[in-house]
Amino acid sequence: MGWQAFLISLEVTSVATVLVVIVGTAAGLLLARVHFPGIQVVEAILMLPLVLPPTVVGYYLLRFLGNGGPVQRIFGINIVFTWGAAVFASAVVALPLMVQAARSAIRSVDPLLENAARTLGSSEPGVFFRVTLPLARRVLIAGAILSAARALGEFGATLMVAANIPGRTQTLPLFIYDAVNKQQYGVVNLVVGLLTGLGLVAFIIIGRLDPGYRR
Amino acid sequence: MSTVARRTLLLDIHRRLQSFTLDLQLEVGEEIMVLFGPSGAGKSMTLESIAGLVTPDKGEIILDDRVLFRKGKPGAHANVPARKRTVGYVFQSYALFPHLTVLGNVRYPLGRQAHAQERALSLIEAMGLGQMADRYPHQLSGGQQQRVAIARALARDPEVLLLDEPFSALDAGLRERLRADLRTLQRERHLIVICVTHNLEDAFALGDRLAVLRDGDLEQVGTVAEVFRRPTSMDAARILGIRNTFRARVPSADADHVTLDWDGLELKAMPQAARLGEVVPVYIAPTDIKLLYPDRPVLGGLAANQMSATVTRLEHREHQQIIRLLLDNGHELEARGAGYFYQALDVHVGGRVGITLRQEGLRILHEEDGRQ
Repeated sequence: MGWQAFLISLEVTSVATVLVVIVGTAAGLLLARVHFPGIQVVEAILMLPLVLPPTVVGYYLLRFLGNGGPVQRIFGINIVFTWGAAVFASAVVALPLMVQAARSAIRSVDPLLENAARTLGSSEPGVFFRVTLPLARRVLIAGAILSAARALGEFGATLMVAANIPGRTQTLPLFIYDAVNKQQYGVVNLVVGLLTGLGLVAFIIIGRLDPGYRR
Repeated sequence: MSTVARRTLLLDIHRRLQSFTLDLQLEVGEEIMVLFGPSGAGKSMTLESIAGLVTPDKGEIILDDRVLFRKGKPGAHANVPARKRTVGYVFQSYALFPHLTVLGNVRYPLGRQAHAQERALSLIEAMGLGQMADRYPHQLSGGQQQRVAIARALARDPEVLLLDEPFSALDAGLRERLRADLRTLQRERHLIVICVTHNLEDAFALGDRLAVLRDGDLEQVGTVAEVFRRPTSMDAARILGIRNTFRARVPSADADHVTLDWDGLELKAMPQAARLGEVVPVYIAPTDIKLLYPDRPVLGGLAANQMSATVTRLEHREHQQIIRLLLDNGHELEARGAGYFYQALDVHVGGRVGITLRQEGLRILHEEDGRQ
C-alpha cells in the first residue's frame, strides 16, 4: 500500500540526505579551499550523475555494490536489491547538487575571516565549525533541501539497484509507476499531489534562504 | 608585571615572489615598530609571516627563546602553526566575525576557558565599548569596529600585536585618539607592536622606530626622528615623502605653546617635549599648511602662524592640489589640499598668498638617544 511506500521514501530520503550533506560539504570544502592537480577531474566526476542517464548511474552502482564489486569484496556484503541500495542510489544522484551548493557557500566566506580565526587560536576543525560553517549556513541548508527533494524523487537508478519490491524497496516514485500500471488513479493523484506540493514548498524555502531575499 | 624580562622578536625572513623577493632582517623589542613603504613592498607579507599565515622560503622567526619558524638555518627545522604563536593580528579590514556580536567576537579566542565571559566583558569595557557588547559588527562605526578587533586580538594575551594599516579607514580626530590608545596599550601590556602604514602622520605619532621597506628590501631602520632627519638614501627619502622638515631653535616654551625660531621666522607650536635653546628637527604635514582667503576669519589653531609666501610651483593631482611655497625666510614648504579648497582663490605661480601653519600640525621630532 501507499503508506508503506511513503514510510520507505521518508527513511531512504532522510538517511540519504544525511550522507549527502556530510560527504557533499566535505567535498565542497575540498573543492573550494584546497588546490591540487586534477581538481577539475574530481569535480567533473562528482558532477557526472547530474547528466548521465539514470540507467548508467544504476549500472555503475550495480557493478560497485553487486557480486564481485569492491563493496562485496572488501566488506563481504551484497546490498543490491535492499533498502541500503535505495539509499545509495538516492544519495549518488543528489550529491552533485549538494557539492555545488557547498562549494559556492564556502567560497563566499572570506578566507581572511578564517585566517583571523587561526591567529585567534583556532585549530582547522575549529575554524570550520566556528567560522566557515556558520557563515555558509544558509546556502548549505538550501543545498540540503534541494538534495533531499532530489533524493525523494529518485526513480531510475533506484529501480536498477534496489528493484521495486513493495514493503522493502518500493519508494513513492516506484509506487506511482506500479499504481499507474494497475490503473489505480485515485491513489496516484493523491501521491502525485503530495510530491508536487513538497517540491513547491522546497523551492519556496530555498528562495527564502537566498541571501538576497527580502520580505 | 614590572619584572617581566624584556621581550624581543627576531626576524629573518626570505621569501621569493613573482614581483619581488622579500628579504628582511629585523629585531623588534617592547616598542612600536612602524613598517613603512609603498604598497607591494612586502609589509603585509612580513606580518603574515610572523603570524604564521604564510610560510617563508627560509629564515628564522624567534620570539624570546621560542623558535616560531626556522628553515634553512642552523638548528632544528620549525614551523609553529598560527594558532600557537601568541601573536595578535589586527587586519586592515578588521576581519570581525559578522555572525557574532561584539562579545562573541572578543570571547572567540577564549573558548571554554574559565571566566571567558568576564574577561571578554572587561576587555570590551576597557576599550570603551561597554554599551556595544550585544551589537553586531555591521551596527558599529569604523572606529568601534577597530576597537573590537584590537580587544579580540588582545584577549589571548599575545606578546606580539600586529596591525595592518590600522587607521586607514578612520577620520582624523578618531585617528589621533586611537593612536594614543595604542601607545598606552603597548606600554601597559609590554607588547611588541608592529604596525604597517603608509601614512606619515601615523608613523610620527606611533612609531618608536621605523623600518622603511622597498621591493622587499629593508632600506633603513632607526628611530622615527632619525630616519626622517637623515634618510640614508634617496630611496628612503622618496618613500617617506619627506618634504616639510626643517630645523628650528626653541627660544621659549610655556604651558600654552612652544615657540620655534626657524631662521628668523617665529612659529607657535602646541606644548610638547622640547629642550630650551636647542635646535630641533620639526615636521609639518603638507595638509597642515593652509592657504588663507583674505575675506574670511581665521580661527583656532589656524590663527597663530599666519604669514605670506610666494607660490613657486602648482601641481594638480586627482582630487588634490599640491602647492610649493617660498617663505620669506628663504625656505620652501609644500601645502596640499583638496582641489576645491582654493578654487575661488587666485593661486598662480609667482603670486603672493597668505598662508598659515596649523598650530597642532607642528611636530618636534625627538632625538634618538632616549632622553625624551
